[in-house]
Amino acid sequence: MLNQADLITNLKNKDEAALSQLYDAYAPAIYGVIIRMCKDEQHAQNILQDTFLTIWEKSHQFNPEKGKFYTWAYRIAKNKTLNFLRADKKLIQTEDLSVYKDREEAVKTDTDFLQLKGCLNQLEPHHKKALELVYFNGLTHREAHEEMNVPLGTFKSYIKQALKKLKLSYNKTMVWLLILIEMVR
Amino acid sequence: MDKAYILENGIIELYLLGELSTDDELVLERLLLEDKELKDEFDSIEANFEALALENAINPPTAVKENLINSLSRDASKVIPLPKKNPYKSYLAIAASIAALIAIGSVWMYSQWNDTKEDLQIATEQNFSLSKELESLKDNLENTSEYLAVLNSADTEQYILKGNALSPSAKLVSYVNHKQKKVIVNATELPELDENHDYQMWADVEGEMINMGVISKDSQLLAMNYINNAESLNVTIEPLGGSYHPTVSRLITNVYL
Repeated sequence: MLNQADLITNLKNKDEAALSQLYDAYAPAIYGVIIRMCKDEQHAQNILQDTFLTIWEKSHQFNPEKGKFYTWAYRIAKNKTLNFLRADKKLIQTEDLSVYKDREEAVKTDTDFLQLKGCLNQLEPHHKKALELVYFNGLTHREAHEEMNVPLGTFKSYIKQALKKLKLSYNKTMVWLLILIEMVR
Repeated sequence: MDKAYILENGIIELYLLGELSTDDELVLERLLLEDKELKDEFDSIEANFEALALENAINPPTAVKENLINSLSRDASKVIPLPKKNPYKSYLAIAASIAALIAIGSVWMYSQWNDTKEDLQIATEQNFSLSKELESLKDNLENTSEYLAVLNSADTEQYILKGNALSPSAKLVSYVNHKQKKVIVNATELPELDENHDYQMWADVEGEMINMGVISKDSQLLAMNYINNAESLNVTIEPLGGSYHPTVSRLITNVYL
């Protein structure tokens, strides 16, 4: 198995195997973000495919010194999903509004699998909600604080505290992982 | 924008979420290069962002990956599209081919024309030399028939001039026709002279030697001047081209008529 730097180099050299491996490693995480944003499996799948196509075509633009591959991919996916949602909204507004409502309800009945998992659930509900809105729903801080109906400053502090706690719990998880690895050895 | 402001306002989170303006992104990226502590904070938040997503990963259907890989190969084939049949282009090609054929044809015809011109020139030259040859042959024939007429005439008398002590092997046959006033000599048996001398023939008229002409070195039969009232024929060796007066000391033969 190649390390990630080598994978990225191969990707930039248009190696399809590298794209395939990066897809296997990151597509589920990115799909998790996309589908929570657009709440439509079919469209989420299209956007996911489109995201990786862009990753393939624009691989020369990725600079590993500026951040992780995941961060780059996340931002591509988020932009594509937001663009889709905006275009979709415009389209639907020109047509019958009831269709949109019906569709949203129909989708909502089947969103249990979108429930957030892991350390997020250890956070206080409002911290979790704040992070969910900006991270998984793609809202800007401004939109999110209105959604939560709290002042922008408060909202920002929610995010900060949420991240701080997440960091603690991830560090703990890391410690447990290290102990486990030690024991296995 | 300084470090405190960045940490206080969650700028790193905004950056990772892609919410910063391009200008602010550049400022942050520059600060990250300079400040190790800020970079550590950045790495930590970024790692958490990634972990958050990995924890909440949802497996997409395998069809998505299949479509993706298929669209790559389709893209790859798009890179080298089949050349479109352009009728305009093929007309151009045909026109170009015809032009090329005409050009090649012209060059070939030009070289042919040049060859023909050369051939014609050679033929003209040959024609000219042939006609000259014909003329000389005609002259020759005329001379020869004239000589033959003289030699065959019943009025012609033959005199043989035999060499004296100066040139014992010399022999000259002369035919004299007084009626037609012709003298023809056969000089084949005169010994060869060096290149600076010629044989010359003289007629003796009342004690005076009169020039009958230089005997040409390259003819077998030749006509000499007929001199009236000649009493004898004489041959001397003279400097090349002959003399006005005979060198009597070099008289090689004579005959009385």
